Amino acid sequence: MAATAQVASLAADVISTPEESLWRVVLRRFSRHRLAMISCAAIVVIFVLSLFARQIAPFKPDQLAVGHYFLPPGAVEEKTGLTHYVGTDNIGRDYFSRLVYAGRISLTVAVVTTAISILIGVTVGAFAGYYGGWLDSVLMRAVEFLATIPILPLLLIISAMLLRNEEAIPIPKFMLEVMGTVMLLSPNDARQALLIILVLAALGWINDARLMRGTILSLREQTFVEAARSLGASDAQIILKHMLPNAMAPIIVNASLNLSGFIVTEAALSFLGFGIQDPIPTWGNMLAATQQFMFDRPWLPLVPGLPIVLCSLAFNYIGDGLRDALDPRLKL
Amino acid sequence: MTTYLVRRLIQMLGVVLLSAIASYLLLNFAPGGPLSGIRQLQQQNNRMRLTAEDFARIRAYFELDLDLPVRFTRWLVGQPRGPLVIAGQSFLGDMVVGCRQPIEENFETGPGEFETRVVGCAQAVQLKDLEGRRVSNGVLFGDFGLSWTILRDRPVADLLLTRLPKTLQLMGLSTVLALIIAIPLGVYSAVHQYSRFDYTITTLAFLGSAMPTFFFGISFILLFSILPKSAGLPYLPPGSSEAVRAYTLPWFGTIQPDTWLDVLLHLILPVTVVTIVSVAGFSRFVRASMLEVLRQDYVRTARAKGLLERVVIARHALRNALIPFITVFVFALPGIFGGAIITESIFSWPGMGRLFLLALQSSDYPVAMAMLFITALLTVVATLLSDLMYTMVDPRIRLS
Repeated sequence: MAATAQVASLAADVISTPEESLWRVVLRRFSRHRLAMISCAAIVVIFVLSLFARQIAPFKPDQLAVGHYFLPPGAVEEKTGLTHYVGTDNIGRDYFSRLVYAGRISLTVAVVTTAISILIGVTVGAFAGYYGGWLDSVLMRAVEFLATIPILPLLLIISAMLLRNEEAIPIPKFMLEVMGTVMLLSPNDARQALLIILVLAALGWINDARLMRGTILSLREQTFVEAARSLGASDAQIILKHMLPNAMAPIIVNASLNLSGFIVTEAALSFLGFGIQDPIPTWGNMLAATQQFMFDRPWLPLVPGLPIVLCSLAFNYIGDGLRDALDPRLKL
Repeated sequence: MTTYLVRRLIQMLGVVLLSAIASYLLLNFAPGGPLSGIRQLQQQNNRMRLTAEDFARIRAYFELDLDLPVRFTRWLVGQPRGPLVIAGQSFLGDMVVGCRQPIEENFETGPGEFETRVVGCAQAVQLKDLEGRRVSNGVLFGDFGLSWTILRDRPVADLLLTRLPKTLQLMGLSTVLALIIAIPLGVYSAVHQYSRFDYTITTLAFLGSAMPTFFFGISFILLFSILPKSAGLPYLPPGSSEAVRAYTLPWFGTIQPDTWLDVLLHLILPVTVVTIVSVAGFSRFVRASMLEVLRQDYVRTARAKGLLERVVIARHALRNALIPFITVFVFALPGIFGGAIITESIFSWPGMGRLFLLALQSSDYPVAMAMLFITALLTVVATLLSDLMYTMVDPRIRLS
């Protein structure tokens, strides 16, 4: 009886104290992380630039200015009076416009890949953690395998295989059209970007699944889950309503780190010639294509390199800030 | 211990076999393949006319006329090489193991779309036809077959061996350097946690692991070779592993190719890039593991005994902190063989990483497969090695 009274008074306390909502607390803690806030601003700028690529870029990304090869930064085209802010590349395409369009493609690839890998990873991880069984052991073997094998060669092989016969891989037409609209590409070019997304997501989801599995495993033993079960909640209810909200912190932090990782990996694949191919601009393949000219025009490879570095660092810092804000004890 | 080792070795063999099968399937089911180029050429210009016989010969050269399982066992163990011979009598000579000339027909799959399908076989390959055909001794026995395109008809092993020294040079040197730099850095920043030094190192390590390698490479070429060269200062060569002809550097004078100075100068940039990236990872790891150990009771005991702080850290803490580091380090070993793909391609370093890229670009599957296979083998060996080393350094761990 005394215990009940105590619980009641505790509950009354909790109810009567004005409480900040969880997200407000997170936001407050996050805003204290100065580097993360700066990173957020940088990311917003880059996203806005890419979102308004069509309005901001003075030229079309694949528009050739015959004869105007290697124009210096700031050169003005006489006919139209438009400025080549960073000059033109070796076949006379406006470098700045390509950069902006490339941002749209590189960022879309990273964001979509992250979304796909979270979706798959969370589902598989939740099932594996909750039910165990063969899915769990397969998942753990895959995790172990990936922890030992160097990832880059694997990605290179997969993408070499996929890109070699792009046309044979069935991708629904509407998906190509949607992706094409998002990335400002023709449906045919969007196919390449989609394949790269698939390549990256093929190995990318596993880390999310591992994290999710671990969290679910520890949550399974918690009393609130037991309570839910004793109240007759179904498995689906327990996983979706009770466990998932509690398991999201590491996933959110990891998503931010993934964004950085996917941007760099996509750039690396494109840089090595196994990613998105040249007429389509991405930061990675622009860098690769202009590396040979760096002796005379060092800005050509540096300019597309900067946004890669910037995005990579910014997403890393945001991840850091999110980790501090969501759960300081979290270790990834 | 012996039973443990035997069990582990059997397991290892299984894993290696699995990875061999996986890599073989990956590369063989990959559409494209060595014939697609020829087909395309034939479709594009009609000048290049291949007769059916030519085509069959080319297919036989790549062993594409054999069924997949037969092809695979020939690749893996070099068998079958002909009919089964038992006590002087041959068996199964008539068994069909492939098709020399498939009959292809075009089917209309949609409006205006055609697909070529194999409908039958004009001339089958029998087991007895395999006699006298060129075959490798099998990957399991260390024969990786012949290269298809990079060095046509030369053994893959030769190709790998010409590239291996350069990669070992680059990766070995940078791994040793990374260790020498990372361990003291990690220890120092763990001992002085939250000091200014620690913050600096943590931030730098963060930058080092977040920055893409190719950006490091390119900015280093810019900083240490293009800018100094245009400023008339001594500069570092931006690529390749040795010069082709003699070159003149300010202060150094003329440098002949392939002298130790030339080799050294060429090594500096790529080694630095690989080292920085590894140091970033290693030092973070050492720091974390050292922090963990410094909190332990036995460290407090050692301090309470009145031991010098130096002794506590070097003898009591560091030795224990390095135990988990073994795993990290041992798993870097396959990388030493495989090379740093990105760094090698930026600095056009003639090592394994670039060979791998080249093999993928030119569809030289035997080379790519050999490298995958060796990497898998090394990884498995590394796992065993790290487990054994654990038992050596940490008596609490018993293998069973």
